[in-house]
Amino acid sequence: MKKRVIAVLMAAMAALPLSACGGGASTASAAGNAGELNLFIWTEYVPDAVIEQFEEETGIQVNVSTFSSNEDMLAKVRSEEEGAYDIVQPSDYMVQQMIANDMLEELDQEQLTNLGNIGEAYLDPSYDPGNVYSVPYLGGVVAIGVNTDRITDEITGYDDLFNPAYADTTVVLDDTRAIIGVTERSMGLSMNESDPDTLAEVQTKLLSWKPNIKLYDSDSPKSALISGDCTIGVAWSAEIALAMDENPAIEIVYPEEGAYKFIDNWTVPKGAKNYDNAMKFINYMLEAETGQAVAQEFPYLNPNAAAIELMDEEYRNNIAKNVPQEVIENAEFVENLDTDTLAILDQMWTELKK
Amino acid sequence: MTKKRKKRGGSILSVIYCALVYLFLFLPITVVVANSFNATTSKPYLSWKGFTLSWYVKLWENESLLESFGNTMLIAIASTILAACVGTLAAVGMYKYKFRGKSVIDALLYIPVVIPEIVLGISLLTLFTNIHVPRGHLSLIIAHATFSIPFVIFNVRARLSGYDNSIEEASMDLGANRIATFLRVTLPVLAPGIGGGALLAFTLSIDDVIVSYFTNGQVKTFPLKVMESIKSGVSPDVNALSTLILLGTILLVVLTQSDLPGKLRAMAAERMGK
Amino acid sequence: MREKKSGGLSRHTFRSNTLPALCMTGPVTVWLIIFVAVPLLYVAVMSFCSIDQNYNVVFRFTAENYRRLADTNYIQIYGQSLLIAALTTAICILIGYPFSFLIARTKGRKKGLLYMLVIIPFWTNSLIRIYGWRTFLGTSGWLNRGLEALGLIDEPLDLLFHRGTTVLGMVYCLFPFMVLPLYTAIEKLDRSMIEASEDLGARRAATFVRVVLPLTAGGIFSGSIMVFIPCLGYFFVSDILGGGNADVIGNLIERQFQSGNNWPLGAALSITLILITLLLVKLYQKCGGDMESLGG
Repeated sequence: MKKRVIAVLMAAMAALPLSACGGGASTASAAGNAGELNLFIWTEYVPDAVIEQFEEETGIQVNVSTFSSNEDMLAKVRSEEEGAYDIVQPSDYMVQQMIANDMLEELDQEQLTNLGNIGEAYLDPSYDPGNVYSVPYLGGVVAIGVNTDRITDEITGYDDLFNPAYADTTVVLDDTRAIIGVTERSMGLSMNESDPDTLAEVQTKLLSWKPNIKLYDSDSPKSALISGDCTIGVAWSAEIALAMDENPAIEIVYPEEGAYKFIDNWTVPKGAKNYDNAMKFINYMLEAETGQAVAQEFPYLNPNAAAIELMDEEYRNNIAKNVPQEVIENAEFVENLDTDTLAILDQMWTELKK
Repeated sequence: MTKKRKKRGGSILSVIYCALVYLFLFLPITVVVANSFNATTSKPYLSWKGFTLSWYVKLWENESLLESFGNTMLIAIASTILAACVGTLAAVGMYKYKFRGKSVIDALLYIPVVIPEIVLGISLLTLFTNIHVPRGHLSLIIAHATFSIPFVIFNVRARLSGYDNSIEEASMDLGANRIATFLRVTLPVLAPGIGGGALLAFTLSIDDVIVSYFTNGQVKTFPLKVMESIKSGVSPDVNALSTLILLGTILLVVLTQSDLPGKLRAMAAERMGK
Repeated sequence: MREKKSGGLSRHTFRSNTLPALCMTGPVTVWLIIFVAVPLLYVAVMSFCSIDQNYNVVFRFTAENYRRLADTNYIQIYGQSLLIAALTTAICILIGYPFSFLIARTKGRKKGLLYMLVIIPFWTNSLIRIYGWRTFLGTSGWLNRGLEALGLIDEPLDLLFHRGTTVLGMVYCLFPFMVLPLYTAIEKLDRSMIEASEDLGARRAATFVRVVLPLTAGGIFSGSIMVFIPCLGYFFVSDILGGGNADVIGNLIERQFQSGNNWPLGAALSITLILITLLLVKLYQKCGGDMESLGG
C-alpha cells in the first residue's frame, strides 16, 4: 500500500516538470542552432529584458548565473572546469588579478564595432591598458544612503557613519575590500594600505563600527533601506538611487573623504566555449540603445556616452544616477594586494563579523 | 466530577498548545501563499498592492524557474533510484555475508548522516575539482545519492532484522537460482523498507540547499533558484510555484488519507522492525 | 572490490559466497570510498597546506591554518555557533516533547492527520519558508503592521537580524527532526507501565520523571543530535535571518571556499567541525544512543 502511495507521489511530481518543459522545449530547440552563451554576472546588474532581446535577435540561448562579490566570482571560476563560462564581469582590480593569473582571453577588437560608444575617459584604463582583455560596462562609487525621516543629523562623509548614535541602523555591503576600504577612507588613508601597524589602527576603527551594522548585504542593500529595516546604507550608488525612487525620504551622500570607486567589465575567461557569441553579446551591450535600457533599470555610472545622450533630463540631473564628475575624480580604486595583506584583511573581517 | 473537569481543562490547554505549534509551523507558509497573490511588481516585492492571480500565469512563462524545478525532479528521481539500488543491495549483502572490512563500511555509512552537510559539500567540491568532473546534473546526482544511500540502507536493514532466511533457502531448494530468489522472494519482503528509504531520500534531495550549493556548477535546482531570488527579494512567481507544490503534496496526502492511521502504524511497526 | 570473503560462514558454507557478496556490497564500498573517504582524507591533507599568490593550493606541510583558528575571533564564532545550536536544541526539546506526547497519545484517525501536518510544511522549500519569516518579522512586515494597526505599538519592533532571529530560524528548520524521534519513542511507550506506576501510588510528576522520561530518553538523545549538528552548518539561516551578525561555523567554511579563496583554511575549519561532530556522536553513544535511529 505504501509503495503505491510513493509511486503516486513520484508520478504526480514527475508529471509536473515534464508538462512544464513541454512548453519551453520548442523555444530552446529553436535557439539551439545559434548556440549558447554562459554569463556569470553580478546580481541585479543586467536587465532581464535586455538579455531576452539579445536572445530574440540572435537566437542564442543565454544562461545566466550570478555572483555577489569579485572574490566569489574568482572562487567559482577557479573551481569550475575551464570553459564553464563565456563571459564574466570582474571589477577593475579583479581584471588585473585575472590577467596576472592568466585567466582571461584577449578580446577581438575587430568584432567590437560599438566600442566607440564608450566615453574617452573610460577607455584604456590603468588596470587593462589598451582594453586588451576588458571592456567597461558600468561603474559607480560606494555612497551613503540616509533615510532622512529617521536620521535627522547631517551626514557628510564615511566618518560620520561611526557615530555611536546610529546603533543598529546600518546596512553595509557584504564585501571585505569595500567595507575595509570605506573605513580606511574615513581615516584619510588609502584603501590599499598594507602596513600591518596601520591596518591594526584600521581594525580598531572598523570594530567601532560594528554596533551600528545591522545587516550585511551586497546583493540588494536597497531592500532593507526601502523596507525601513535599516535607515543608513553603505552601498553601490545605484542601489541608493533605486531606493530613492521607492522612498523619497532617502537621500544620497557622496563622502567628502573621497569615495570607493569601481568599474565593472566584460571579460572572457580562458577556454570559453562560445567565444564568438561572447563577442556578439559584448558588442550588443555596447550599443547605445542597450546602454539606455540598462541605465533606465540599473542607474549606475554608465561609461556608454552614446547611451547617456539618449537619456532624459531627469536622469542626467539626478546626482544619484548620473554620478557627478568631481565625485569620480575624488574617488579611489582598490588595487590588488599580496596574500599576506589579504590574510590580515580576512582576519579583520572575521573579527568584525564574529 | 472535579477530576473530569480538570481533565477537560487539560485537554483544552493541550489543544491550544498544539494549535500554537502548528501556527508556528505554518505561519511562514501562509506568508508564502499570500505573497503569491500579491499584485506588486516592484522589487523587493514586500508591500501589498492588491490581489491578483496573474503570477500563476506568469509562472509558466518563467522558463528558468520551471527549468530549475525540472532539474530538481530529475536529480531527485535519478539519485533516489541510484541510492535505492546501491543501498538495497548493500543492506542485503551486509546482512547475509560476513567479510573483512565490513565494520569499515559500516562506519563510513554514518559519515554522510552525521557530519554537517557543508562538510560533505566542500569535500565533494574539492574532489570534483581535482578529478575534473564537470559540475552539473551528474555531479549533483552523485552528491545527492551520496547522502541518500545510508538512509536507504538503514531503512532496509530495519526491515531485514525480522527477516526469515529460511524462505530464501526454501526458494533455492525448489530450484530457483540466486537472482530469481532475490527478485521474487527477497525484494517483495523488503519493498516497504526500500520504499520508506527512497521516500526519505527523495524528500532530502528536493529540499537540499547546502550540498547542491557547492556542487551545482551552472545547473540550478529549485532551492538554488530560490536562494538566488532571495538575494533581490523573492518574486511572487516563485511563491506561486511553491504554493502549487504545497497544494500538490496536500492533495496527495488527502487522496491517500483514507487509511492513513493504519499505514502510519504499519510504518512505525516497520521502523521497530516488527 | 576491497573486501574479501572470510572463510567459515555459518549459513551458506555449502555455496560459494564470494561472488554474490562482491556484487552486493561492492558498489556501496566503491561509492563510499570514492565519494566519502577519499574527499575527506583530501580535505584533511589540504588543511595542512597553504596558498600561493594566485590562490592555488601549495602542498607543503604547515600548521599555519590551525594556528589561525586558535585566534580568539574564530574561537568566539565557534562559541557563538555552539551557543546557537545549544539554544536551538533546548527550545526544540521544550516545545517538541509535550507536543510529540500529545500527538502520539491522540487516538484514531486524528493522529495520522496530526503527524502528517508536521511533515507537510517540509515539502515546501526551506529557504522560502525562512524568507517567509523575514517578510513576517521585518520593520514593515506583517507582525509590525498588525500590531501597529491594533494600536499596540507606536514604533515598529526591531526583530530581524539578531542572534535570536537566527535561533528562531534554526528551531523552525530543525523542529521535525526533534519531533519524529520523540514521537517514535513515545509511541513505543507501554501504557501499562505508566498505569502500573500510577496504581502503585506514584504521583504524575514522579511517574513522568521515573518512568516516562527514562523510557523516552533515547528519542531525546537522537533528536538532539539531529538538531544540534546541522545547526552548526546551516549557514543560509544565519545569512537570511541573522543578517551576518550571528554567523555559525558553516558561514566561516562557506566564506573560505567562496569569497575568501583560501581552501586550506576552509579545510582546517571543516576538520575542526568534523572533530566537534565526532565528539558529540561519541557522547551520544556514551548515553546509550543508537546510531541506526539517526538515519530512520
